[in-house]
Amino acid sequence: MKKYLLLLSIIVFPVGYSSAQTLNDGLMMQKDNFCTGFIYMHDQWTEYWEGTRKRDNGNIGKLTTQSLTWVGNYGITNKLNVIAMLPYVRTNASKGTLAGMENIQDLSVGVKYNFFVKEWEGKSRFKTFGIINFSTPISNYSPDFLPLSIGMASTNLSYRLTAFYKLEKGWFANASAGYTWRSNVELDRPAYYNDEDETLYLTNEVQMPNVFDLFISAGYLKNGLQVELNYIQQNTLGGGDIRRQDMPFVSNKMNFNKGGILVMYYLPPLPELAVRLAGTYTFSGRNVGQSTTYLAGILYTIKFSGNP
Amino acid sequence: MRIKNHYIVINLLLFFTLLSACNKQLEETESLVPLAPVDLDEDAGNWTMIVMTGPDQVAVSAPADINSDAYQAELAAIKNAQSNLTQDQRKIIEYWSGGGVLRWNQILRELVAQYNRPPAPRPDGTYPAPDPENPFSDPEFPFSNPPYAARAYSYVTLAQFEALKSAWYYKFQYNRPAPYSVDNSIQALVPKTDLPAYPSEDAVLSGVTVELLKALFPAAVEEITIHAANQRNAALWSGKASSSDISAGLALGKSVAALFLARARTDGMSAAVGTPAQWAALDDSARVHWAKAGLNANEEILWQSLENPPRPPMLPFFGQVKGWLMTAQDFANERPGPPPSSSSEQMKIELEEVKQYSKNYTREQLATVHKWADGVTTYTPPGHWNDIAAEFIADEKYSEVRAARAFALLNMAEHNAAVACWENKFYWFNPRPSQLDPSIKTTTGLPNFPSYGSGHSTFSAAAAAVLSYLFPAHTQYFHEQKDEAALSRLYGAIHYRSDIEVSVEHGDRIATYTINFALTDGAD
Repeated sequence: MKKYLLLLSIIVFPVGYSSAQTLNDGLMMQKDNFCTGFIYMHDQWTEYWEGTRKRDNGNIGKLTTQSLTWVGNYGITNKLNVIAMLPYVRTNASKGTLAGMENIQDLSVGVKYNFFVKEWEGKSRFKTFGIINFSTPISNYSPDFLPLSIGMASTNLSYRLTAFYKLEKGWFANASAGYTWRSNVELDRPAYYNDEDETLYLTNEVQMPNVFDLFISAGYLKNGLQVELNYIQQNTLGGGDIRRQDMPFVSNKMNFNKGGILVMYYLPPLPELAVRLAGTYTFSGRNVGQSTTYLAGILYTIKFSGNP
Repeated sequence: MRIKNHYIVINLLLFFTLLSACNKQLEETESLVPLAPVDLDEDAGNWTMIVMTGPDQVAVSAPADINSDAYQAELAAIKNAQSNLTQDQRKIIEYWSGGGVLRWNQILRELVAQYNRPPAPRPDGTYPAPDPENPFSDPEFPFSNPPYAARAYSYVTLAQFEALKSAWYYKFQYNRPAPYSVDNSIQALVPKTDLPAYPSEDAVLSGVTVELLKALFPAAVEEITIHAANQRNAALWSGKASSSDISAGLALGKSVAALFLARARTDGMSAAVGTPAQWAALDDSARVHWAKAGLNANEEILWQSLENPPRPPMLPFFGQVKGWLMTAQDFANERPGPPPSSSSEQMKIELEEVKQYSKNYTREQLATVHKWADGVTTYTPPGHWNDIAAEFIADEKYSEVRAARAFALLNMAEHNAAVACWENKFYWFNPRPSQLDPSIKTTTGLPNFPSYGSGHSTFSAAAAAVLSYLFPAHTQYFHEQKDEAALSRLYGAIHYRSDIEVSVEHGDRIATYTINFALTDGAD
């Protein structure tokens, strides 16, 4: 095992509507190492699910979301990492008159703890992780202009458990399940109609349903190369459907199932530098766009060797 | 060691689970204190009528004597009901004790928001029209857009006002006290007043409102009927009205509703959507108007739908719908002059200003745009002003009839503002900023009708004028809100400045018709 094989795993879900970030793989930074870099994301859809009805919209055309995310992962110990992210997000609709939005989105800071390891000498190892992640909007963006809002504007607290199994030959499998508590959000208007209970709320505060997500991946990981296939699922635990010919609403039930591929490679001439490429496709969903997402990132690992 | 690690993780998870359980629940309705009116408005039976010929146009026969066996049996029924009240029944009493007029206004705003959705396009690029004969289909009937909503608010609130004036007339003619005043063993579960109970004002309100709402929002019939029944039950259970007070009130309310429904059938609304041939002729008629104003009509760029596929304009003939206290000639007289020509230097300057807002806006300006967006799935600008008014009406602790007057005055002016604004829009038929310059993107939905003048500005100026008349101590606040609402449309890049400035004055003039009536209706 190369000691520089220090991986961040960040799957950004900005896709159309959602913007949670998760920290869901089974890999850790070594003590005193700091991995940092930028990940560019391009996400687009032309069809979306209005409730369960799939459709396009001539006043939206193609909805594109781009983001550039700074990421940083520091190894406090071999078993305890701190991971932070800060994306800048930009949206655009190819048709209609609605203006795109752009701004810094949510700062996320998480702690990942490897609390269990079982090793079968020379054959394989099994690890489990507990992760707690906090995210909150950094800019005062509006969540009330979906699908062009850059995010949901809630302050989130996620906790997740991850299990990771890897053969010494390089094959691995990873499963991670998370639960995200979302704070209520405030709109700029004094009243809104809630699709879920068909009620006019005479307040600017919107109750946000919590979210469950599942991330499963399997692939090959050895000698500075990671290749994986993955499956991502999000279920919003509550929320209403977009009604016929209506605009999406921040507390809608936004569910999806996605499949993707990820490649990460540590360049042999400069092993501190890694490139990361990923693609994800939405197979099914509810109140979200059927998006195709591409990620490209560059990550650099700095080793703070020798204790000061 | 391993066990300890597990322990930490479990503890952390437990901690965050507890944190997450913290309450996110919201209260959705207006919290209203039980209504204890400061004045009974005993003379309301003599206030001027608007649609009805007089307070006794609908006859209400004299009630049975309070010593009669029939009435005593009614009292016994109330006592029996009160001895078995469930928690749900008490909640219904509490809800309606906030005031029937205020509650129905809130329900009406909710219905408008619920039905305020445009039809989706068909695969062939045409749009189906909502069909009142088939209200549950896709698209549902109605599409309660701003003009539809303005008219609905006015019909419901004015019918309530007229019905209550009539009820007051009979109340003080027959002077039958409320059950809780007749019989000491009947509890008053709402604040006690000396208002005569026959006919019951709650039943009048439920009867008149339910009939109008069933016509205006037919697909909501179930919800509307339940609300109305609850209101009558609350009056009975609370010791406020007997069953004969209620049946007389219900009959009066329904009869008054019939008068308004007859007017509604012939007020021009059914022709407001128009036909494809009429839509095609809008260009030509606008060119005639431009020529009549001495302008070069042929070079004028006229309005086109920017929706994809193009959608017929929203209620292009709403400007011909009957107003309240205003004739068609009054509307024509109040119509502003032409907007800047699409080829004029002024239009170039105004367009540039819109473009600047489209590209550079502050977060505060965006908040203003969204606060006043009042677009799809909202209660519309007239509903927003009802929302604002409701707070002041509740604070004043008005009697039901005076609360109804306040909403009726506001909504007559709002309906007139809608008619006046739509008449003006389709008279000149000029393009939105994004049509003249497609690079102009908007931070709120672009309304699918001509630009000149601004509906928000007309509605808000008319509302601010009426509310300033009703609550003069808060004049400054209403005008600040009006200015904000009007300018929000420039910030949102959907209106030129002149649309707004002209329409604020237009709305102000329109409101004077309602205010002049109010000054002499006997209630002032």
